[in-house]
Amino acid sequence: MSEPAIQVQDLHYAYGDLQAVKGISFDVQPGEILGFLGPNGAGKSTTIKMLTGQLTPQKGTARILGKDVTKDDPEVQAQIGVCFEEKNLYLNMTALENLDFFASLFGIKDADSLEVLRRVGLADRAKDRVSSFSKGMRQRMMISRAFINKPRVLFLDEPTDGLDPVTSAAIRKTIKEEAERGAAVLLTTHDMFEADELSDRVAFINEGEVVALDTPESLKLKYGTRSVKVRLRNGEDVREERFEIDAEGASARLAELAASPNLMTIHTEEATLEQIFIQLTGRGLEG
Amino acid sequence: MSKPISSLALIGALLKKEFKAYSRDTIYLALTLVVLVAVPIVFHFLPDSVDETITLAVSPSVSTMIAEAEDTLRSLGATEEQLAQLDEADLAEQEEGLLLLEFDDAEEMTRVIEGELEAWRTDAGELVLRDPDADTDKPEDATRVNVDIGIAFPDDFIADVATGAGDVTVTVYSDAAVDEEIQAAMRSFVREAAYQFAGRELPVDLPAEETIVLGEDRAGSQVTLQERMRPMLLFMILLMETFSMASLVSTEVLQRTVTAVLVTPAKVWHFLTAKTIFGTLMSLSQALIILVLIGGVTAENWSLLLTVLLMGAVMFTGVALFVGSAGRDFMGQLFYAMLFTVPLLIPSFAVLIPGSVAAWVRFIPTYPIIDVLVGATVYDATWASSWSALAYAGVWLVVLYGAGLVALKRKVESL
Repeated sequence: MSEPAIQVQDLHYAYGDLQAVKGISFDVQPGEILGFLGPNGAGKSTTIKMLTGQLTPQKGTARILGKDVTKDDPEVQAQIGVCFEEKNLYLNMTALENLDFFASLFGIKDADSLEVLRRVGLADRAKDRVSSFSKGMRQRMMISRAFINKPRVLFLDEPTDGLDPVTSAAIRKTIKEEAERGAAVLLTTHDMFEADELSDRVAFINEGEVVALDTPESLKLKYGTRSVKVRLRNGEDVREERFEIDAEGASARLAELAASPNLMTIHTEEATLEQIFIQLTGRGLEG
Repeated sequence: MSKPISSLALIGALLKKEFKAYSRDTIYLALTLVVLVAVPIVFHFLPDSVDETITLAVSPSVSTMIAEAEDTLRSLGATEEQLAQLDEADLAEQEEGLLLLEFDDAEEMTRVIEGELEAWRTDAGELVLRDPDADTDKPEDATRVNVDIGIAFPDDFIADVATGAGDVTVTVYSDAAVDEEIQAAMRSFVREAAYQFAGRELPVDLPAEETIVLGEDRAGSQVTLQERMRPMLLFMILLMETFSMASLVSTEVLQRTVTAVLVTPAKVWHFLTAKTIFGTLMSLSQALIILVLIGGVTAENWSLLLTVLLMGAVMFTGVALFVGSAGRDFMGQLFYAMLFTVPLLIPSFAVLIPGSVAAWVRFIPTYPIIDVLVGATVYDATWASSWSALAYAGVWLVVLYGAGLVALKRKVESL
């Protein structure tokens, strides 16, 4: 295995008396997408701020591409792309001007900003001011800005928050493409479906600590239960029956129901990441 | 890894963005253009000469007073030699800088001073009165005269003072706006006239007097309003740019675009340097354009003017950085802008109203800037005569710019 693109070891940060991050450790390999899941105030944003040089860790180490983030190395900064949750774009500048400006900060002289805009479906609005963009278009602008320097490490904070399903799917596709290109992606999201679909591994963060870190499948196997939901016709009504597959007598009951003339549908179900998170922390992700 | 981008290239990229953002802000762009056009026009219409004439109204006319006095004194047995002194003491002998308006009726005089009647003086020197409420035409070949002060002499004033007969009361009428100094001068004038008619010396010995004018003697060549306004306009240009610069900084902070900039190879000091250069360039360039358009720059003072304008531009950029980082929203930014710029404006009033400024004004940071601007544009000040004010301005520049830098740096790092 190659050297991790992101290495975090025992990271700590406190805002006054409030301990926001309490000894977080993880790493992300090149080409890997790590889903960073947790409710508001769990310490996700603080961790990203430390990794992108906005905050200095008070304890522990964080390395990006093998370099200590506290050293404020412009070579490292040139290799990262950040998509903030806030749409902090220059509204009075056009989409193209926004990207060209950030490309110039990375020292890219021949940036193909138009191609980057094309990837997020904004090429036809390249010369329009960002102030005229809808929320979804601004979000796509944020993504394209994070991609402008072809970063080796991507920090994406809620990249599809509040977007319609079509736009969300388009953005997920581009994130996957970036990972396939070899970029290490740290993805912060509330959306369990998105985390499940995109992440190679997920880290559950709660109260400044990593409470679980594994692939989604492993977490489901480890903490979840498989079940079957059967819907049966009952006169004029519909009756629903749910039972765990691994429970005693489940196979016989399933065979019996399958043979019933009243059977309407049979669905297998597995635990969602959110259910596992609640199981592990006792709280939901929206809190 | 690729070769990192140089600091110079980073600042250049940030500066380019600043100009683009400024050019897209239609409010400030329009304001800048309006100022660049309006200021020279306003300056052009300001008076470029000073009317030093003092207008004094008297009633009755001097010739009437003398004629009555001659009759009275003759009947009292005055000799022709004594009567000849009246002519020597003729009040109507007009001196340079004094315009005497003679009214036959004291009531008319008071109505003119009160503004109920207009006083016009024809080219032939005749006084014409006009009631502005009456539907009458303005007199032809005449100039309107403002009368703020007048003296009403009693009927036998000259005879009474000449013979020393009892108490004589002379009434001085003045508009409420007339300075106390002018009113006092008029009272002295009446007293002196009385002594003159009485044929006596003033009851005081005036000390020998020698006047030495330091610097350029501007007697008869007073500073015109246009000259006074020149440094003030330059100062105002520098000050106004504070608002637009503060707005740009504030927008960057409030919209958190600066956070996006700082996760690239650009660091806080690149950001602050670009802001400083941009703010200074904007205010300095506008001040220089105005300076060229309204004049005042000479082969002798150009370097001094350039230096003091540069110092002013950096000082106000510091204020803009402070204000821009302090406001949490547009109204907050406006509040802080007013809070800081209004006190900084106070020294410029010294230009318009010389002698009106209290000593504490000298402790306002902009005082030395306006002081040197006035010196360079009005009084032909040199480097030698301005160095102490420049040094004082330098101290304030370091304080204000430093405060602006620290405030914005802390704000940016706390986002």
